[in-house]
Amino acid sequence: MKTWLKVLATLLLLYTIVAGFLFDVPRLNIVNETIRALYFHVPMWFGMVVLFLVSTVYSIQYLRSPSIEKDVYAVEFANTGLLLGLLGIVTGMIWANYTWGSPWHGDPKQNGAAISLLVYLAYFVLRGSVENEDQRARLSAVYNIFAFAAMIPLIFVIPRMTSSMHPGSGGNPGFNMYDLDSKMRMVFYPAVAGWILLGVWIASLRIRVRLIDEKIQNLENE
Amino acid sequence: MNKKTTLITLMLLLLFVIAPVWLMAQPIEMADTLRSEGKIYVVVAILVVIFAGLIGYLLLLDRKITRIEKKLPSKKD
Amino acid sequence: MQNLNHLLFKELTLELRRKSVISGLLLYLFSTAFICYLTFSLRQNQITPLVWSALFWITILFTVINTVAKSFIGEKKGRDIYYYSITSPEAIIISKVIYNFLLTLILSFTGFILFALLLKNPIIDLGLFSLVLALGAMGFSSSLTLLSGIAAKANNSHILMAVLSFPIVISVLLIVVKVTKNCIDGLDRSVSTNDLVTLLAINCLVTAASYLLFPYIWRS
Repeated sequence: MKTWLKVLATLLLLYTIVAGFLFDVPRLNIVNETIRALYFHVPMWFGMVVLFLVSTVYSIQYLRSPSIEKDVYAVEFANTGLLLGLLGIVTGMIWANYTWGSPWHGDPKQNGAAISLLVYLAYFVLRGSVENEDQRARLSAVYNIFAFAAMIPLIFVIPRMTSSMHPGSGGNPGFNMYDLDSKMRMVFYPAVAGWILLGVWIASLRIRVRLIDEKIQNLENE
Repeated sequence: MNKKTTLITLMLLLLFVIAPVWLMAQPIEMADTLRSEGKIYVVVAILVVIFAGLIGYLLLLDRKITRIEKKLPSKKD
Repeated sequence: MQNLNHLLFKELTLELRRKSVISGLLLYLFSTAFICYLTFSLRQNQITPLVWSALFWITILFTVINTVAKSFIGEKKGRDIYYYSITSPEAIIISKVIYNFLLTLILSFTGFILFALLLKNPIIDLGLFSLVLALGAMGFSSSLTLLSGIAAKANNSHILMAVLSFPIVISVLLIVVKVTKNCIDGLDRSVSTNDLVTLLAINCLVTAASYLLFPYIWRS
């Protein structure tokens, strides 16, 4: 990962923290001051989806022309995506406990998120139970692509069809994603970009460690 | 303009302009005291320091990995 | 196309010859339905329509996972190589999906009859419900067949099959349960059109994905 991207990620997130707490936000019932959690909770999901998408792209590339590097890329992006997803679900539960009254509220978006985490947990179980390396990489690549295809309706279609407690559907109090206050947009978009970049950075570190590991194993085998 | 129309205009004004403004002006609780006392800067400062620490740590890790990568012989040897 | 017919024919005749398998599945279905009946036997009136639909779909889901799981896990190693040499992987996956679809369809309808006999039949709109059963069977069979192919290559296949399939079939299951509720309430059919179209779209998506991906797992 290029150095300027790391600097950009740092600056964007610094801006998010400072502006996220100091800038004006719309005064809304029920959410009140917690609306600021938007800058930290929602980007976790954006980051998760982006990292899973990157992982799937590497899996497709792996099937086209197999190489160990692409497999490592796919695994580590999925791994980091899982981390962001877990953080997203925990922060979501804290926020939900305050605004909706209980941590798990059977909200379709919440359930969809939990299921997409299950998919990638299953992905790692699958990797754990195949011993042959080539076969492990190929099977998990196939599962990754298949699972991502099956997840699309779950995350993007079903939550929009049923009423959700998340803002933007069902006329519940709160802001709407699509008429976010312009002041909030100025913090929200940089926040999303910053968290995604941070996720990519962490993933790139994990990838490098794995590749070093592979190299050492190759040296030992020689 | 006679008195009647003026009265109706006034009432309409009250209904459509003043009333929404008045409703909106109902105070919704925010952490205004925290802000006015300037204590919010303490919170922001703490978060910035923690964030800076984490990023610094990540950078050190990054440099360490680069060093190890250089130690390994390149693939073509 | 010729190959496909042959393969489908082979699947059907093989299954029909091995009567123990199909009777085993039917018995499995019957036992589960019977257990549902027994556990509620004293309080028949406590089975609200929603409980009914939950019990029904859980039973169907488990039976179907067990059914489809053996489509690849049950095959002998040597047979794999033989198929590989005479047919294309696309023909194999399509024939398996169609075969599993037929089997799942039979099992779903049998399950429904059993549930209606043993518990009760809360479904008002039977026509719509059969459509839901058919679409659900299609969704289950198309998504589970590929997964069974993956699981067959790994260790402890049977546990893996369940773990891999739950997250994938959940989107099908959610829609199916929702429409079942509409059938129970006897709502107008236009209410459910949207859901049915989504279900059909998911089925197409999943079938297309299995068709494209299967050659890669077959090669190993």
